[in-house]
Amino acid sequence: MPAAEQDWPLRVRDLVKAFKEVRANDGISLTVEPGEVYGLLGPNGAGKSTLVKQIIGLLKPDGGGIALGPHDLVADPDAARQLCSYLPQAQMPIESFRAAEAIEITGRIRGGRPPEVARRRRELIEALDIGEWERTMGAKLSGGVRRLVGFAMVTVCPGRLVILDEPTNDVDPLRRRLLWEQVRRLGDYGAAVLLVTHNVLEAEKAVDRLAIIDRGRLLAEGTPSALKAEDRGRLRLQVMLAPRAETPELPPFVQGHTRVGHNLMTVIAEAEAAHAIGWAQELIGLRLAEEYALGATTLEDIYIRMTGDVGAAGRETPT
Amino acid sequence: MTTLAPARVALRSGPGYWWDSYRGMLRWQLTSMRLWLPVTAMVQAISGAGFVLAMGLFFGTVPPRAALFVSTGVLVLTLVIVGLILGPQLVAAQRMEHTYDFLWSLPVPRTTAAAAWLTVNFIIGLPALAVALGVALLRYDLPLHVSPAIVPAVLLTLYTGTMIGYAMAHAIAKPMITVIITQATIFLAFGFSAINFPLDQLPGWLAEVNEWLPLYPMANTVRAALTQGVAEEVARSYLVLAAWSVASTALAAGVLGRRG
Repeated sequence: MPAAEQDWPLRVRDLVKAFKEVRANDGISLTVEPGEVYGLLGPNGAGKSTLVKQIIGLLKPDGGGIALGPHDLVADPDAARQLCSYLPQAQMPIESFRAAEAIEITGRIRGGRPPEVARRRRELIEALDIGEWERTMGAKLSGGVRRLVGFAMVTVCPGRLVILDEPTNDVDPLRRRLLWEQVRRLGDYGAAVLLVTHNVLEAEKAVDRLAIIDRGRLLAEGTPSALKAEDRGRLRLQVMLAPRAETPELPPFVQGHTRVGHNLMTVIAEAEAAHAIGWAQELIGLRLAEEYALGATTLEDIYIRMTGDVGAAGRETPT
Repeated sequence: MTTLAPARVALRSGPGYWWDSYRGMLRWQLTSMRLWLPVTAMVQAISGAGFVLAMGLFFGTVPPRAALFVSTGVLVLTLVIVGLILGPQLVAAQRMEHTYDFLWSLPVPRTTAAAAWLTVNFIIGLPALAVALGVALLRYDLPLHVSPAIVPAVLLTLYTGTMIGYAMAHAIAKPMITVIITQATIFLAFGFSAINFPLDQLPGWLAEVNEWLPLYPMANTVRAALTQGVAEEVARSYLVLAAWSVASTALAAGVLGRRG
């Protein structure tokens, strides 16, 4: 069969889903092309899970449509389950499965033929570097390894759309890199990948395009660089405040700010860089702050500005 | 290096798809219960046998009619307790641990998950039934008259008990409510259902209620298939039980196809 006939985009059109008075999805439209890794970013309660559950046929939309290639997933939830692979945010229920066995059984349930499943299972175990645990029971696996086994279960025989909800939770940095390589390979094979995450910094490196959603609406969509281009000409001044220090009075050139713990992040115009450094040094001199860093604005700044959410943004490796 | 299979474009369907999915789901369920399935089966068998023996310890000499009632009633409890109580509690745990969505996102016909769970109940229930019956025979020298009706009576009892539990488990979205209802079911099943004693021991109105609920008809049909001259109005019990099996199947089918 020609590749073009196998490569199906996911098309979500004007999707509406309400629970009583709350519109969890309020007219969301997006397209994920085959071969593309598409990030879905948003704080808790933004409507990400509601969107995903409608795609995989667990919830029925109140309005709008979802199609994968020629298939209407709203009209045919059985097709949705066959065509989509879903890694939920919660850990997989594999306490009494050996790691390799969990991958193999899921592959068979997903319709893979035994030799094909066995080959792919070996390949994933090797690629994710989890060989030393392949005969370990799920109950004895660390959270990170269990997460990787979950990823392998979902992708051993992947559907045309692979939905990954926070796939790297608990995974160590080295294996995180291996996991992202495998995510990319899914794209190379023609699957559309929908990556649901809070972790903006990681998403920025991993996705081709992304959407930021909040309160059921799509706020922005584009490549990471296109979204960042909106902030061209601005810089991020990050000030680490002294313990128990109040947020200092902000000078007029500060265009926006958020505070997480002692970390005060401000956005300034490039032209004000010298003034900003002077202000930060003055705070240190007054013992109100301990250090500062000036850098380019990141996707995280844009995310925070759009969603007003500071608690959910990934902030493991502020750069 | 590239062994990722080519895209599966055609959707699977038909009997072969159903059968493969059933085998996959049965393997999934048996493996996920691997650590405690043998223990559960053993506990079921021991508790059935224990119940039969305990009565002898308590009364010393047990009247034959009482021995017949208890021994045949215990069989019903060993058959339905997993499906009616443990099944819903397992589903409640899946909901609490947020693994429910993953299991329902698997690409299988949903009837295969129900069929696999039914099979698990047979695997646990039938040996327990055999052990309890064996112990009762050895201890009380029961005058059993086993008729071929034992097959439909046991099948219908096991099926109906499992499907009522299954439908309830999936119909109730809040796990805590499931847990409360199953606890109440244990209380009612052991205390106020005419399983181990004759129906006429109950006050009139409660006896009437029992005739329409599923547990008494289960006990009555199984007892009728193992004894002579003990069970009454057996045809009515079959009818009530059949109605419960149809209703629970319909409810389960409705719930399984439902999207929130």
